[in-house]
Amino acid sequence: MRKKSNYGKLIALTAFVLFTLLFTYSSLNLRNTDYGYEKQRLKNKKKELRETIDLLSAKKAILLELGRVERIVVQKLGYDYPEKGQIIKVYGE
Amino acid sequence: MKINRGERRRVIIVFFSFLAWVILILGVLVKLQVFNYGKYTQKIRTQSNRIFSLHPKRGTIYDRHGDILAISVLSKSAFISNKEKGESGKLYGKIVKKISLSYKDRLDIRKRISAGKHFIWIKRKLSEKEFASIEKINVEGFSSRVGFVDEYKRIYPQKKVASHILGGVGIDEQGLSGIEFSLDSVIKGKGGKVDAQLDARSQIFSLEYLESEIPGKNLHLTIDLPIQYFVEKKLEEVVKKYNAKGGSVIVMNSRDGSLLAMASYPGYDPSNIRYTKQSTLRNNALSFLYYPGSTFKVILASSALESKICNVNYKFNCYNGEYSMNDLKIHDVHPYNTLSFKDIIVYSSNIGAAQIGMKLGDKKYYSYIKKFGFGNELSIRLPAAEKGIVNPLKRWNMYSSAYIAHGYEIYVSPVQMIRAMNVIASGGYLVEPKILKSIDKVLFRNKRPKRIISGNTCSSVSDIMVEVVDVGTGKKAALSDLKIAGKTGTAKKYKMGKFRKLYVSSFGGFFPVDDPEITIFIVIDEPKGLFYGGDVAAPLFKEISKRVIMSQNIGSEDQKLPGVRI
Repeated sequence: MRKKSNYGKLIALTAFVLFTLLFTYSSLNLRNTDYGYEKQRLKNKKKELRETIDLLSAKKAILLELGRVERIVVQKLGYDYPEKGQIIKVYGE
Repeated sequence: MKINRGERRRVIIVFFSFLAWVILILGVLVKLQVFNYGKYTQKIRTQSNRIFSLHPKRGTIYDRHGDILAISVLSKSAFISNKEKGESGKLYGKIVKKISLSYKDRLDIRKRISAGKHFIWIKRKLSEKEFASIEKINVEGFSSRVGFVDEYKRIYPQKKVASHILGGVGIDEQGLSGIEFSLDSVIKGKGGKVDAQLDARSQIFSLEYLESEIPGKNLHLTIDLPIQYFVEKKLEEVVKKYNAKGGSVIVMNSRDGSLLAMASYPGYDPSNIRYTKQSTLRNNALSFLYYPGSTFKVILASSALESKICNVNYKFNCYNGEYSMNDLKIHDVHPYNTLSFKDIIVYSSNIGAAQIGMKLGDKKYYSYIKKFGFGNELSIRLPAAEKGIVNPLKRWNMYSSAYIAHGYEIYVSPVQMIRAMNVIASGGYLVEPKILKSIDKVLFRNKRPKRIISGNTCSSVSDIMVEVVDVGTGKKAALSDLKIAGKTGTAKKYKMGKFRKLYVSSFGGFFPVDDPEITIFIVIDEPKGLFYGGDVAAPLFKEISKRVIMSQNIGSEDQKLPGVRI
């Protein structure tokens, strides 16, 4: 009778260990999938930010277009072109 | 427990039934897993995996200071998924009111909808405003719908500035002209492929790169954007003032050949390159071939002095402005009796130059013309750089050296002329003009320049060129604070078999004379009214020189401290 009871316990223990292993494996697997999503999300975000930087650089360059700046300075702000001798260039060391 | 025969039979039947069932399952499994493995793997891959092509981002083009000249940014392209013609027509009718489309495009789209094509581009690379106006145009319940795809769009923030250098790209970002074309393989990068794993909701949760995407490399040009802008503006003013056909200006660093500006008129907006006339796309600085006229006397003087056939004081008879020998007839604008070698260049006497040419002899003269790079390819990284036309020696007649001496019977391009004139500025070296400063961060260097004439010859020719500006034909290029060396040129155009009263005016020079840093060459095609190089091109040289001095540390030592008024 005693032998039979030990055998039962062994089966129960094995089942418990197997179940725990299976559970851990599944949860790890699920977590890996989550990491996959997260990694992909961050990669996309990085790419988006890079694109935004480029877009903003392009917009900045468009705003600083020399023809536009000249038109604003002369026509809107009323500045005039410098006369001869009005520009003094100081040379550094 | 005993079982009878009938029961045993039933057990055997059940056992074999199960066995057959298991064998059947095993057989099906073997069929699925072994024989049809490839087929079903492929099938499952198409359900849960998707291969995407990655379009590489085209490299950015910067000027020498890092200002953006061309950049690619993401934009939306609109299409119609045409499932039902009537619905697609209604959707398209709503879209067409909100975005600009050419008549041809509108007609084409209508035709495609009627033809029942499933995928129809509406407009590629929409502006932000256009996208915002049609973003939510889909109608609930319609099976046809408007979709959007991300595509890179090339932007040229400086619009027309440096258009001929940059060129432009087509709708699929392929280089069509300029540096976008010549360095297309470097800028465009390489497309990649990615295997995306999708979940049940078709969301990507893992990516496997099959081929890595390689973005295009960034280019840094030698162009100085503010100088380029100024040069283009002034060139346009001069071309309009003299009602000229076109023109070009090149500003070059005399020492390393870096081009600070290369302008060609008329210009165009690179964003609209597909709608630009072929003739406008031509970069006059590289591909306009013309008779150089008197600017070629610089090459003549250098060749003659280097060959030691005479010195600068050697006197020549200039026949009071009219010289004829058999079929050879040459005139001077102002008649001179006798002129020294130096004054022939200073006052630009064609008769004197013709005699120097004949004295030099065909063989020697031809060899120097070739040494100065005429008729040879340029190593500049831009397309359509003409090598000019220099007749081979065997095709020269007895007057060729006389004609070539004052800039006829030879076709040159402005960039060839600046390269040749820069030989004097650089102390005898043939420095190749370069437009490319670096690719990504790797500096681009020209080959070591070859010396073609001696420093002494250069110094003598330079002195003569200074006199051209001080007292000769190039007075309008003179600056009050800085010595300029230059040479004017005016040549008649040869059209339909004879010389016409159409001119090409030019001026080339460099400064500061003691240690040249900047070489400039200007060509104005067919100016009306005034047409002499000294009247049309020389004043433009002066304007540009002042601007270049303002942005570069140029000037003699005593002028540099403490400051110089410009």
